[in-house]
Amino acid sequence: MDYAAIFTALLPDLFVVVALFAALGVDYGCLRGASLADRADAAARIGGVGLVGALVALGFQLTGGLAVDAHALEVATHGQLVLNTGTLALKGVLFLLGLLVLPLAARTISTPQVSEYFALLLLATLGMGFMVTSRNLLGAFVALELVSLSLYALTALNPARKESAEAALKYFTYGGVASAFLLFGISYLFGTLGRLDITQATLAEAPRLVVVAYLFILVGLGFKLALAPFHLWAPDVYQAAPTPAAAWIASGSKIAGVALLLALLGPVSLPSAHSAIVPLLLMMAVASMAVGNLGALRQANVKRLLAYSAIANAGYILVAVVAFTDAGRAAAMFYAIVYAIATLGAFAVVSVWNDRLGREALIDDFRGAWKTSPGLSLALLVFVLSLAGIPPLAGFVGKFYLFYAAIQAAPQMEYWSDGLYWLVAVALAFSVVALYYYLKILKAVFVREETGELDNSPVGFSASVAILVLALLTVAMGVWPEPVVDYIQSYLF
Amino acid sequence: MIALLTVIFSFFGALVCGLMPATAYQRIRWVALLTALLGLGAAFCCALRYTGPGMEDVIRQTWIPSMGVAFITGFDGISLPLLLVTGLVSVAGVLFTWNLDHRANQFYAFYFALIGGVYGVFLSMDLFLLFVFYEIAIVPKYFLIAIWGGAKREYAAMKLVMYSFGGSALVLIGMLALFFASGLNTFDLRVLMTVDFSSGLQAVVFPLMFVGFAILAGMWPFHTWAPQGHSAAPTAASMLLAGVVMKLGAYGCLRVAVGLLPEGAMVWAPWVAVFAVINIIYGALAALRQDDFKYVIGYSSVSHMGFVLLGIGTLHLTGMTGAVLQMFSHGVIGALLFAMVGTVIYTRTKTRMLDELHRLMERMPGIAWVFIVVALASMGLPGFSGFVSELYVLLGAWETLPTWIVITAGVGVLATFAYTLAKIHEAFFRERSIGNGGNNGEGEADYSPMTLPEKAGVTLLLGASLLIGLCPWLLTNHIAGSLQLFLERFN
Repeated sequence: MDYAAIFTALLPDLFVVVALFAALGVDYGCLRGASLADRADAAARIGGVGLVGALVALGFQLTGGLAVDAHALEVATHGQLVLNTGTLALKGVLFLLGLLVLPLAARTISTPQVSEYFALLLLATLGMGFMVTSRNLLGAFVALELVSLSLYALTALNPARKESAEAALKYFTYGGVASAFLLFGISYLFGTLGRLDITQATLAEAPRLVVVAYLFILVGLGFKLALAPFHLWAPDVYQAAPTPAAAWIASGSKIAGVALLLALLGPVSLPSAHSAIVPLLLMMAVASMAVGNLGALRQANVKRLLAYSAIANAGYILVAVVAFTDAGRAAAMFYAIVYAIATLGAFAVVSVWNDRLGREALIDDFRGAWKTSPGLSLALLVFVLSLAGIPPLAGFVGKFYLFYAAIQAAPQMEYWSDGLYWLVAVALAFSVVALYYYLKILKAVFVREETGELDNSPVGFSASVAILVLALLTVAMGVWPEPVVDYIQSYLF
Repeated sequence: MIALLTVIFSFFGALVCGLMPATAYQRIRWVALLTALLGLGAAFCCALRYTGPGMEDVIRQTWIPSMGVAFITGFDGISLPLLLVTGLVSVAGVLFTWNLDHRANQFYAFYFALIGGVYGVFLSMDLFLLFVFYEIAIVPKYFLIAIWGGAKREYAAMKLVMYSFGGSALVLIGMLALFFASGLNTFDLRVLMTVDFSSGLQAVVFPLMFVGFAILAGMWPFHTWAPQGHSAAPTAASMLLAGVVMKLGAYGCLRVAVGLLPEGAMVWAPWVAVFAVINIIYGALAALRQDDFKYVIGYSSVSHMGFVLLGIGTLHLTGMTGAVLQMFSHGVIGALLFAMVGTVIYTRTKTRMLDELHRLMERMPGIAWVFIVVALASMGLPGFSGFVSELYVLLGAWETLPTWIVITAGVGVLATFAYTLAKIHEAFFRERSIGNGGNNGEGEADYSPMTLPEKAGVTLLLGASLLIGLCPWLLTNHIAGSLQLFLERFN
């Protein structure tokens, strides 16, 4: 076996793993008596260094300074890892977002298991990297489980709150069942295809067994992506998990999940093969948009509201996925990234608020925020309006691209149910509903004159930088989306 | 490039105002005035340099080629009056909110973001770009009303936003359908205008597009956001809403729905005319029944926008020229009416309820006379622009539409006389009030004469209306010239 090829290919991941153990080791070895804040700071720094190292290595891999020998890698890993320009960049996006989560996590630590907290975050990030680069059924499943198990543990990591344990248990139970479904589906798919790697597999026609396989796969991934009707865990988990962890569940694992979904749907890319699966996807899309958007209307807790918005946005992504075209896949991926950035930013602001309040922030707690923290208010404006799909922010282009791709798949319309016009119409109708609850947040922030009770503790340098970067990305990808769209179209699909 | 300066100045002004400290409101208003004047100046330069009848000052940049989107701006005789009215109203809006001190920095940031979006819509020659600017204009409206508005402001703001956003959702579907049906991979309006879409597609997409835009133009039965939104909004915002934002919708109807889908327009034109007449009559009758002065003006806007829609529905050169001119005319006069009621009268009487107003003629004769002139201009007094535009619309309607529609529209004109005169009587000449005598606890009435900024604002807007009323050819030549090119496809 050619270990050199594997070593070059996995150098970025190696950085993360080393950082992970270093963070644990330093915390256990040198900082036994130190305060929580110091320990968190050290762990975040070590994790940050690891991720930066990983990003630099990824950069070299992408630019050719550390070229991955594709053939040697394929021989060595039996095609388990596909490291091309597209997947490497996607891994880079995930690592970058992971890097931005760390300062948020370091701001306020609610658990004595400081280094474990960061180690789990890194582990989840690592797993997501594998999810997007793996094109092997089992490899992808193992990566997904790595992510899931880390996230279950992260959810439970707040010992002071009973709900945290409850939500984690709920998440674990649901997630475990989902994994079982997914694995079952994968086994059927393997049985039909006769191979574990799915890069080349294309079915001209889907036998009944494949339909059953995808039924199970979609149920399993539906859980992971919080698609209705498998969304029930999401609001509780988002609310009870430590906010940075919830942010990472909402953003990183969404990108990785969508990438995995698109990869798994690869073998049925032909119309004759996917026609049996489309109704299920349509049902999940409509149900998610309905449940997410209508559910969000009544929420007072901001994290819960964002959870419902996550469900709704997963539904929007499916609108492009059911198009089963390259443009559809590109649109779904682009939107997943855009959504992840905006939602991560929104969670970041909420996280600051939660820390200041010492409890979960309600919409009302944001009253008069323009007066007390104008910078954060402006950032929240950018994130929320991007989620709502208002130009010139990234969310608008993302949504437009989704609908564009969906209609492009079958632009001729003879009857109302032809093509995806009706689905786009449903999605648009629900995005009007969505604007209502997004504006509800902004109303509290900007319209209200009186201010809520709040200690205005500073945000901290690194967290401010993280929020600023996310906001700038959201604006930049809205004003000039072409490079990203073009990159995704050229290299990913 | 000059035309695009209007957008650039506005957004830049929004940024500058937003970054200034709220305490510096006395400096902010000068910055705001300068920004608005720069925009007006740029629009005025466009008007002077325009030779017509084609598209001029075209700028083309690639933007998102992978989705067929380009950044294309330019203007012709149809956009020109609207650029001018946007400039005029934005300057007047600053003048009539001269004393604003509450969160002035944010106010002008949202104000100019809205104006930048409006200029952008009128300049966009790419459908996607037009849609982007159209949507950019939505959110500032919400904050302008919800933060600085009057009674029921949050409800009215949310309603307005929901209606506009819902309308734009309809437009988006139609837009994508046309994009893919053309098969040309471009959103360039000039290119799409030359495509012959199939009749079936046109008949389906036209109502989507038209209704989507007409919601913002206040078309019955989707007009209810308008009176509420106008009334709850602060003066400058209601001036913009009535003066320009409603024109966004009408402009979209004309430029996009009618421009791209001539066959669909011909199929649906009678319905457009019917709804337009309902607008005219319903708006006028509803105005007659209102007690709140701002609601009167709000419903009168709905009624006047009916003339715009009727003009579009004629699909006839004269009628459509009238429609565009009416957009200008109502933009100027409607905004001025809101300014008179919302600022000039309200700051003095401290009430807008008609049953609490009486004998204002004796108490503030100067203001009363100005208001009466403005109201008569709005009613369609010869010499003012409203007369010319409504005349054009009715003449055009006579050519192509069934007689009963024209006659009903004529009745609508009478109803306009009725509510205008009735409300003038109630506010200015009635001997005693029906309510509690002019004080409803919001402060003492104070009948001081008009301030300098108010005078300047009145002069600007009334002067513009008078100028176009006396010399309509200043605009109609350009409008008709461009519309002629536009209507070539109808034969």
